[in-house]
Amino acid sequence: MSSPVIIEIENLTKTFKHGDEPAVNGISFSINRNEIFGLLGPNGAGKTTTISILCGLFAPSSGKVFIDGKNLYKELPLIKNIIGIVPQDIALYPTLSARENLAFYGSMYGLHGKGLKEKIEIWLEKLGLKDTGKRQVSTYSGGMKRRVNLIAGVLHNPKILFLDEPTVGVDVQSRNVIIEHLKEINATGTTIIYTSHHMEEAEQFCTRVSIIDHGKLLTVGAPTELINSYTGATNLESLFLNLTNRKLRD
Amino acid sequence: MLNKLLATVKKESLLLLRDKVGLSVLFIMPVALILVMTLIQDSAFKSINEKGIPIVFVNDDNDSLGNSIKQGLMNNDLCYLSDSIDGKSATIELAKKAVSEGKFLLGIIIPTGATAAIKKNVSALVDETLNGIDSMQILQDSVEITILIDPVAKKSFLNAVTSNLREFISEVKTKIMFQSFSEQIAEVIPDKQNAPKNSYQKSQIIHYKEIFASTASQKIIPNAVQHNVPAWTIFAMFFIAIPLSNSIIKEKTEGSVFRLHTMPTPFLLLINGKIIVYVIVCLLQFLLMLAVGKFLLPQLGLPALVLGNSITGISLLTLATGFAATGFGVAVGTLATTDHQAAIMGSLSILLLSALGGIWVPSYVMPDVMRSISAFSPLNWSLEGFYKLFLRGGGVNDILSDALKLMAFFFIMMGISYLANRKKRNV
Repeated sequence: MSSPVIIEIENLTKTFKHGDEPAVNGISFSINRNEIFGLLGPNGAGKTTTISILCGLFAPSSGKVFIDGKNLYKELPLIKNIIGIVPQDIALYPTLSARENLAFYGSMYGLHGKGLKEKIEIWLEKLGLKDTGKRQVSTYSGGMKRRVNLIAGVLHNPKILFLDEPTVGVDVQSRNVIIEHLKEINATGTTIIYTSHHMEEAEQFCTRVSIIDHGKLLTVGAPTELINSYTGATNLESLFLNLTNRKLRD
Repeated sequence: MLNKLLATVKKESLLLLRDKVGLSVLFIMPVALILVMTLIQDSAFKSINEKGIPIVFVNDDNDSLGNSIKQGLMNNDLCYLSDSIDGKSATIELAKKAVSEGKFLLGIIIPTGATAAIKKNVSALVDETLNGIDSMQILQDSVEITILIDPVAKKSFLNAVTSNLREFISEVKTKIMFQSFSEQIAEVIPDKQNAPKNSYQKSQIIHYKEIFASTASQKIIPNAVQHNVPAWTIFAMFFIAIPLSNSIIKEKTEGSVFRLHTMPTPFLLLINGKIIVYVIVCLLQFLLMLAVGKFLLPQLGLPALVLGNSITGISLLTLATGFAATGFGVAVGTLATTDHQAAIMGSLSILLLSALGGIWVPSYVMPDVMRSISAFSPLNWSLEGFYKLFLRGGGVNDILSDALKLMAFFFIMMGISYLANRKKRNV
């Protein structure tokens, strides 16, 4: 029987070559299977750096990471097969259509032929892009691009899905569609690790959240538990402001 | 893996086909360059070689020397000789004025009595030789032939004309000497019938035969087409570094590379997809340029491109050039951080490498130092290879070293790209 923990992070630290202080500073936590885990923090807190390390984009300065029981740096090629990523920027080719983009990214995950085509059509239908799938992505609205960006990360049914602010800059309708489908993906067994600045969205969407600032982990737990355990916190946003203070960030 | 590679090739092909500006740079620009440069150089070539250097000739001698020089220069392809200026018979003053005004590049003035002076000098020398008379007492002043030079005239033109003049004067002198000897010997031989005949006119002791040092079965004459078609094709092939590096930079700036690095696909496979597409583009460029040289240029009154004898050699060298150009583009795209940087780095380095490589000016006319540097330009290796195939009738063995150097350049560029990419990811 597999362990209930799917991601184990031990004392993770990352200092960039030209950085003065660590972007991630000795954080440790674990994420359970089938969780929707929120990684919250102000700008420059270290959320994207943490996700980038977990995806194998660059190595940490120190610390250990185990994903699905495998050491991230010794078994990275195997881990890459079970993860999906939806980056903060729209990682799509603007002059290709949605279908062409998805066919390319799907192929990179080893999908091909009829199976790949069917998956693309199913997802385009689900996210309301079937009729516009032939159009070049450069002609899409921000919300449409976000939806294609999401499909590119989930087409291969990953065990773990990393989402870096997937709903930033989209209208309420697109945000609802994205959140609903993320819940649907989670219901099929995919663990979701998600960063966002929308505290209300995180409170409703995540089973557990962590709040980090200046690269350090401030707290981790279920949103309601955390709100109840801090005096004066009425919701996740007030808790967040209490922990990270109200000072403006660069 | 094959499916992934095919998907990458398909993606790269679509991106390129939808980049209209990039495509025009790759295909229209080199055709335009070949047409313009060949027409310009061909016209310059013709003005020197078909009509010749414009020379005004003032023949105040009107005797053997003047007439012989005039006849000789008129029959020489190098010169276009005129003995009149604006319908008037050429004089020293008119000739000076015309040359100074740039109407003629050179002026040649044969002074009055030049032939008579030569004859007198030669006779004195013959007398000294046969009769022991001291020639120093009889010798006239030496004959002075004036050459008027337009300051814009190249030294090589001047050298060519003076060299011809010396040859004609020497011939006239020898002829006069031969005649004098014959006459003097005839006087001392009683039997007139057996006296030496003046057979000088018939004698041609040394012949010159011009042969192009080529193993080609047909005679291939070096011309603007034979230089410009391969030269600008190579230039265009290397110019793919611009759209190729842009494609790599765009993947970085548009965020695709972030996703690509997290996928279970080796980075080398993604780069290989680009290399395959851009090498195919290079081959298509080459075929298009060959078609231009073979079919379009003759329609414009230019000579048709002659390909030589080795299709295998051409294919091998073109493929090696395509790989070298693509490797260079990958290196520029990896080293540069922004598309602006890539455009400047790519275009300037290609212009520099092409200038050094003999694309603009053939390397054999460069100074020694530049020619030594030129040997390090991959464009020069390719151009030299095509010269061997197109002009010297060479085969695969002749261009093998050039092709190997180009492939080595490709591998070095790929090595640099790999190391640069690794260093950039090691943040």
